[in-house]
Amino acid sequence: MSWLRWRVFREVTAMALRDYLRTPDAVFWTYGFPLGMAVVLGLAFGEKPPDPSRIVLLAEPAAESSAWAGFEKPATDGLAVERSDDAARAHDRLILGAIDAVLSGTPDRPVIDVDVARPGAALAELRIDAALRRARGEPEGPRAEIRPVDEPGGRYIDFLIPGLIGINLLGAGIYGVGYNMVQMRVKNLLRRIHVTPVGRAEFLLSWLASRFGLSLLPPFLILLFGILTFGVPVASGAWSWVVALIVASAFCFGGLGLLISTRARTTETVGGLMNLIMLPMWLGGGAFFSNQRFPEFAQPLVKALPLTWVTDGLRDAMLGSSGEGFTAPVACLLLAGFGAVTCLVSFRIFRWT
Amino acid sequence: MSDGFSAAPAIEIEGLRKVYDGKVVAVDGLDLRIERGEVFGLLGPNGAGKTTTVEICEGLLEPTDGSVRILGRTWRDDAKAIRERIGVSLQETRLFEKQTVRELCALFASFYTDPRPVDEVVDLVGLGEKRDARYKALSGGQKQRLAVATALAGKPELLFLDEPTTGLDPQSRRSLWDVVRRFQAEGGTVLLTTHYMDEAEVLCDRIGIVDHGKAIALGTPRELIAGLGAAHVVELEADGLDLAALRGVPGVAEVEDSAGRVIATVERPHETVPALLAAVARAGVELRGLSTRHTSLEDVFVHLTGRTLREDQREDGR
Ligand SMILES: Nc1ncnc2c1ncn2[C@@H]1O[C@H](COP(=O)(O)OP(=O)(O)O)[C@@H](O)[C@H]1O
Ligand SMILES: [Mg+2]
Repeated sequence: MSWLRWRVFREVTAMALRDYLRTPDAVFWTYGFPLGMAVVLGLAFGEKPPDPSRIVLLAEPAAESSAWAGFEKPATDGLAVERSDDAARAHDRLILGAIDAVLSGTPDRPVIDVDVARPGAALAELRIDAALRRARGEPEGPRAEIRPVDEPGGRYIDFLIPGLIGINLLGAGIYGVGYNMVQMRVKNLLRRIHVTPVGRAEFLLSWLASRFGLSLLPPFLILLFGILTFGVPVASGAWSWVVALIVASAFCFGGLGLLISTRARTTETVGGLMNLIMLPMWLGGGAFFSNQRFPEFAQPLVKALPLTWVTDGLRDAMLGSSGEGFTAPVACLLLAGFGAVTCLVSFRIFRWT
Repeated sequence: MSDGFSAAPAIEIEGLRKVYDGKVVAVDGLDLRIERGEVFGLLGPNGAGKTTTVEICEGLLEPTDGSVRILGRTWRDDAKAIRERIGVSLQETRLFEKQTVRELCALFASFYTDPRPVDEVVDLVGLGEKRDARYKALSGGQKQRLAVATALAGKPELLFLDEPTTGLDPQSRRSLWDVVRRFQAEGGTVLLTTHYMDEAEVLCDRIGIVDHGKAIALGTPRELIAGLGAAHVVELEADGLDLAALRGVPGVAEVEDSAGRVIATVERPHETVPALLAAVARAGVELRGLSTRHTSLEDVFVHLTGRTLREDQREDGR
């Protein structure tokens, strides 16, 4: 191939590889950071029994105390009750999320304050209601059993690992390819290379290949870590899709990084572009929390985010379902297609200076 | 190589103009012809338009007007062929910080069809002992020599060096001059820019002095200096000297006032200096300083512009 010479490919990829390996902080951010995040989030949302609902009982110490006596039993109903007569302070703590509910009134006419937007609110209500009925001596009847989900495949860590892989690949493409390319332009290195006979596609492809290769390893490391530490499941037939998805994602985000680097002349410009692309993906790409609960009108937007394709695809392959999201084969196609388009466009519109 | 191109001059510039943003006139009607085998120096203060001219020749900038032919070819028709045959060291070159001397030379060599062996390039610029040192660990002079090495990696016929020695110590400058001379000895052509008069004088076969985007003088260093009419300069430091009276002193070719000093060009200082001193004594002013030296390109520049080069050399700008 005359437009892509082996010599050039070898030297440019080797240069980019050395450049990366000789930058210890880059190595840390691509390996240490995601693993640290997996540990922290895995521990925070891992296999703990559900916390008791923390509530404050607002009541005058002397007068009505006896009325609540039956209620204040220890946390058998999953309630941690704290007595207080400072209504204002209890309210503040409720708003800050330090407690789940404030109980006041009398046992006959109880008033429950909760912040309905918080995840623990409904559970706290249920538990208070059950405790009140028991305190009044009402027959218990059949009680629903609350079963925390903790078997592999259904935990937050299982949901999180595909998200972390996607975030890592996104960063590798946007930062590793895009930002570094603009740095070369800012430092006049691209001008220097431009006055040599090297071709545009030849140089870009070689550079991209190196960064692409580098970005493949960390996702597998994250996956391996999840499997060994938290027992994250990967169905035995799913491996080929997992590999295909990681490769396609690296290609997709590499192309995206290249695209934002084609014209940006300053670090500030590319920084702005990076934020413009990464922020919506962090929020809506389904990495840390499901984007399938976003309102209907937002669905086309989050479905158009490449990070959604990665996280959906990986969850489909690893956990057996991505809910209403994309299946692994569709995600793979979308990612590869997007990568091909961004690369071709970049080769055309790229500027050396 | 006996195609029609090899007979053409190395560089032909005709009526070159470059206007930045529709208002900054950087090059203002430049004509220049550089023959094969020459070391040609563009000499001028900061902002004179040297870098702009050179970068148009390198195909990095589009001219606003006028034409440029490199080795008989135009950028529009033969860009790739030109790039195969030129070597470039830009004014602000920072190479890849974390790569070694050898690695950088190998990288640039890989871009050319018929490159020079890497070790040969490294030795050519005298960096043999530093071949495994990373770029950022090199001194300023070594970095500059490495920049020239990457420019030599493709066996160029024509070398562009934009201020290759600015900011370097005298020894580093001299070792770069050697590199240029060796390249010329092998038949290469060089276009370099500088604002060092001495460098232009000792290194260049011909010089174009540029100011405000125009060539204001062109010739060999000897021709330019001879154009001043006399071989020596006497500098008198004193206030209130009557220039007309000094011009009347026998043996004085020219008298100019430059920033509080009077500069007289004379043919025979041993005869004329006593006469000048007598004239100063007659004027009754205090003489604070007196010096004589050979006429230099600096004097040519002062004569042509009324300014010294150094006045313009603030280390800002390009
Ligand atoms: N990219 C640019 N945009 C606007 N003006 C420029 C640009 N580059 C150079 N100039 C201006 O053009 C003039 C010539 O600059 P330059 O060619 O760099 O001179 P030299 O190399 O002789 O110092 C200067 O006035 C400079 O400020
Ligand atoms: Mg310059």
